[in-house]
Formats: sequence, C-alpha cells, structure tokens
Amino acid sequence: MSTARSVLIVDDEQPARERMQRLVAELPGWAVAGTCSNGSDALALTAKLDPAVVLLDIRMPGMPGIEVARHLGALERPPAVVFTTAYDEYALQAFEAQAVGYLLKPVRRERLEEALKHASRLSSPQLHSLATQEHPLARREHVAVRVRDQLKLIPVKDIRYFRADRKYVTVRHARGEDLLDESLRALEEEFRHEFVRAHRSLLVGVAHVEALERSGEEGYTLRLRGEPEPLPVSRRHVADLRKRLEGRWA
Amino acid sequence: MSKTGAVERAEDRPPRAALVSPAPSSVAAGRAAAPTADSRVEASLDDFFIPDFCAPRMAFAVVLISELLAVTLSLARPGAAFLTELARLSMFLQWLGLTSAAVLCYARPRLARLTVAQSSQAVFALLMLNTAVISALTLWAGTRFGTPTIPMALFPRDHWPFLLRNEGICVIVTAMLLRYFFVTHQWQKHVRTEARSRIEALQARIRPHFLFNSMNTIAALTRSDPARAEEAVEDLAELFRATLRDSHSPLRLKDEFELTRIYQRIEALRLGERLKVTWDVADLPMRAFVPGLTVQPLLENAIYHGIEALEHGGTVVVSGRVVAGVIEITITNPLAATRPPSDRSGNHLALDNIRQRLALAYGGRGSLTVEQQPDQYRVTMRFPVTE
Repeated sequence: MSTARSVLIVDDEQPARERMQRLVAELPGWAVAGTCSNGSDALALTAKLDPAVVLLDIRMPGMPGIEVARHLGALERPPAVVFTTAYDEYALQAFEAQAVGYLLKPVRRERLEEALKHASRLSSPQLHSLATQEHPLARREHVAVRVRDQLKLIPVKDIRYFRADRKYVTVRHARGEDLLDESLRALEEEFRHEFVRAHRSLLVGVAHVEALERSGEEGYTLRLRGEPEPLPVSRRHVADLRKRLEGRWA
Repeated sequence: MSKTGAVERAEDRPPRAALVSPAPSSVAAGRAAAPTADSRVEASLDDFFIPDFCAPRMAFAVVLISELLAVTLSLARPGAAFLTELARLSMFLQWLGLTSAAVLCYARPRLARLTVAQSSQAVFALLMLNTAVISALTLWAGTRFGTPTIPMALFPRDHWPFLLRNEGICVIVTAMLLRYFFVTHQWQKHVRTEARSRIEALQARIRPHFLFNSMNTIAALTRSDPARAEEAVEDLAELFRATLRDSHSPLRLKDEFELTRIYQRIEALRLGERLKVTWDVADLPMRAFVPGLTVQPLLENAIYHGIEALEHGGTVVVSGRVVAGVIEITITNPLAATRPPSDRSGNHLALDNIRQRLALAYGGRGSLTVEQQPDQYRVTMRFPVTE
C-alpha cells in the first residue's frame, strides 16, 4: 500500500465527505490523505499533504470549488483536480467544454475509479476559461500569490491595481505588494466588472479611484485612495476609464 | 401586430440558455469582452421568423414552389399551348425563385435585427426589386436572342404590362409566404415555450439540487447509520408524494407544516449543526387551509440561499400570526457576507410560483412580499383564514 496515490476530499457536507472517504479507501491503489470542509483549509492541506488528486465540491460556503481550483494552480506542485457536484447545470457544461474531470454525487465506485485514474492537473487555459464563464460561482474573490512555500490569498476588493512588469504582474493592495504569475490580459477579462485598463500595463480597481486628473497639455493621471503616487493614464484609455468612473458615480 | 410585439418582448428577457452558450466562444481572448452582445445576435438569428434560405433544404423547397407556381399559372391559361407556356414560365420563375432565395440568404442576418413589420417591408422591397431586375433581364434577353431559331413564344413581348403583372404576382406570393413563415414560426415558438414552462414548473416543485444531495446523503447513511437512512427514504417518499399530488388542492396548515418539518429533517441530515430552525407558529389556526406546498419551498429557499452559503450555518425563523382574519407567515434567514452576485434564478422561479398560486386561490387577498437586507432575507406570505 506504500505506493498508493493520495486523495484530498473537500466537501462542506459531512455525510458527503464520509461517503467519498469510504469509496476512495475501498479502491485499490488509492488512499485518503485527508478531508476538509472549506476552500481555505483545502489550500492549506494541499500545500502540507501534497495529494495527487483533490476531489473538490463546487458549491461550498466561503470559497467555491472553482476558485479553490484556481488557487491550487498557483502552487509549486499543483495537484490534479476532479470536481464533484450533486447538481449544477452551468458548471457541468463548462467542464464538458473544457474536458475538466467531474463527478456527479452520489458517485458510483467505477466512475470514481475512472475519474481518479484520468485526473489531470488543470492547464491554465482550462482554469482561465472556467473563470471567465458566466457562472455565478466562477469568478474569484481572492487572488493567490506564492510567498515561499505558502499561498497567500488577497481579497480582490482590497486590490488597488495590477501592474505588468517584464515577466510578472505586481498586485498592489491594502497591505503591500506581491508578485503574481498571471497575464494582465487574463486578469482584465476575469475581473472586468471591478477593474478597468488605464494603461497598457495597468489595471485599476474602479472602487479605489479617487480622481481622474488632468496633467500637462492633454495628459491624465489617476489618483487612488491610499496611494501617494499618481498613476499614468494612456490617452487611448481615457474615454473608457471616464465612462466606467461615471458609471460608478452615477 | 401588437400581440406579436408582446411575445417578442417576453422573449427579450435574458434567456437561461444564453448564459450557457458563450462559454466556448469566450475561449478566444479579446472577443469575450462582449459575449452577451454576440450571443444576442446569434439568438435572434435562430429566433427569426424568415427561414435560412442558404440551407440546401430551403433551396430545394424554392425550386419546388417555383415549379408548382409555373404549373398553376400554365394551367390557368387554357388558350395557350400548355408545354410552351410551362417551359416559358418555369425558366422565368426558377430564375426568379433562386435569385430571390439568394437575396434573402444574404440579407437575413441584417433583417433579423429589425422588427417583424420592418423586416416584412424590407422583404417586400427586396423581392419586388429582384422581380423587376429579372423581368427586365428577360425582356432584354428576348430582344437579344429572340430569333426565329428560338421560338419567340418563350419571351415576353409587351414591356410594361409584363413588368406590372410580375410585380403583382410577386406581392401576392410574398405576402402568402411571409404569412406562412410567420405562423409556422409562432407555432414552433409556442411549442418550445410550452415545453420549457413545463420543465420549469416541475423544477419549481422538485429542485434537482435537493433531490440529488438527499440521494447522496442517503447513500452515505446506508452504511454508517442504516436506521437513519431508512427514515430518510421514508421522509423523502412522503415529501415527493405530496409534491407530485395536484398542487391546486389546499392543505390544512397542520399538514403543510408537517411536510415542511419532514423536509427540514432531510436537510438536517446533510447540513448537521449548520441548520437550525426556530418554529414560532403556535398562534396559527392549524385547521385553516393553505395552498399545498407553499411554506416548504420558502424554507427550501432560506436554506439554499442562506444557510448553505454560511460556513457555520445559522438559524431560520418560521413565525406566524393572525392579523384581522389574515394569516401572516414569515420566514427569515441570515445571508452570507460574500455571496455570488446573482445566484441562480431558481429563487424567483419558486417565489413566482407561490405568488401565482396565492393569487389563484385568494385573488387580491393573498400576497407574498420580500424584504432583503445585507445580512438578512425575509419572505412574508399573507392569505385570509379559511376553515
């Protein structure tokens, strides 16, 4: 049994966890690494236990499964992910379209075995498309940054801006700055309701903007709450930016 | 026309399917900025009453209809030689039919953005123009090729009468076809809506979410606690029996509360400590009638949208009192601070369903009101006491 591959079970309902635990334990070649009932525990346990597969419930209080999966992708050794759900027509269509593994509860033993065997890590295009679909639970409420071996979660509403540098994206938030390994373009698409492009390399949290100010002949700068330095605004984004800000104030 | 307008507007509500369909298209980065606009155009194209003339099936239909028209017109002229007449008319009408189909095929995506009246007028204009062009070309071909080797009978001789006759026939045929397309389309739409509303009505009564989660709980309990699993199956059976019964028959309040408690028992197995329900209904006349399955779905909503989203759960309060001959049942649940912005339309489905049934049973004297605060959601149902 020493070669058994390990599984982490994440589900907010105790009977569901119990059953899944039993099913996995009965499968030859598989072992339960642990169980937990919410997304943040799932992230901590994955980092600690390094399971091969995480069985992830979609509908959980706090952080929904799809968001957990995205944060797992930020780990150094991301586990394979299989989603579980009793019923969710929207998510299932996306999973089918993206060939993401999922199981319907109550899960059959054979299906579970099959899904575990074929479980794979989610590629970034898969994660990206899950995040941008119009599912109410798809958009992240946090972004995960890796600080040494730990994942640090930053609430999206605390983020003032994303700024793209050569290779990374800098996340500026209430408690400092972190580096994120995602593209600005993907972030813009996912958080299009909360953020707006101000510059080729700058995505600004609409709620944090204090003022759009004229500077020089026809240039503009942006002042954010809590930020001493004004941010550059490129001319081609001024109109769009103004529209979003007016929308906010209206 | 005004009736059609109303139907169209009702269809304008964001259809549930549209939420789903953009998923594959949003893979293409950059396009996803306006997925809703894209899908709306696609949806309206699918939902346009003029069929797609680019389809081979339609092209065949056009050939067939043109030929039938040619036969009809030839038969209607007893004086002329039938076969010559048929050959002449067939050639002319096939040209006319196929070019008209090509015009409509090309114009359809643009026409689909207009209203029914506008697009019908546009179709008339396009087809009349096309008829004029084809008639003119035919006349020109007659003067150019109408030599003794090709019988003159194949070509028209008189200019203006020929054109005017053709335009007249074009208007009549177009009007008939448009009417036919429109009626067929309305009928298909009606069938689709009917099917969808039946499914929605069923889902308002039996929530798939609840059904499958309960099944999963029972599957878990069969091994760990067979006695409770057995009880859960009995509860589920009783609940579904009530659900599948005629929903118009009223229940005594006592029975409705009993069903609601059965439902609560099943959910408690799944949610454990997280679900607490406080019942404060002792003041209600338990023999009074209530439309069946109105309180239970309200508790279901409170659990689905309230308790399930809270990591440590919460308390749902069911309270009731009688004010001046009117029963008031209030269900209050806590709301999580971070909630997905728009969680499922199922909630409104259930509320609309209950509202309709209260209206059906009590007219203006039954009502359902909703008060939402950031951390609390409260639904109040009011209806007169009837014993």
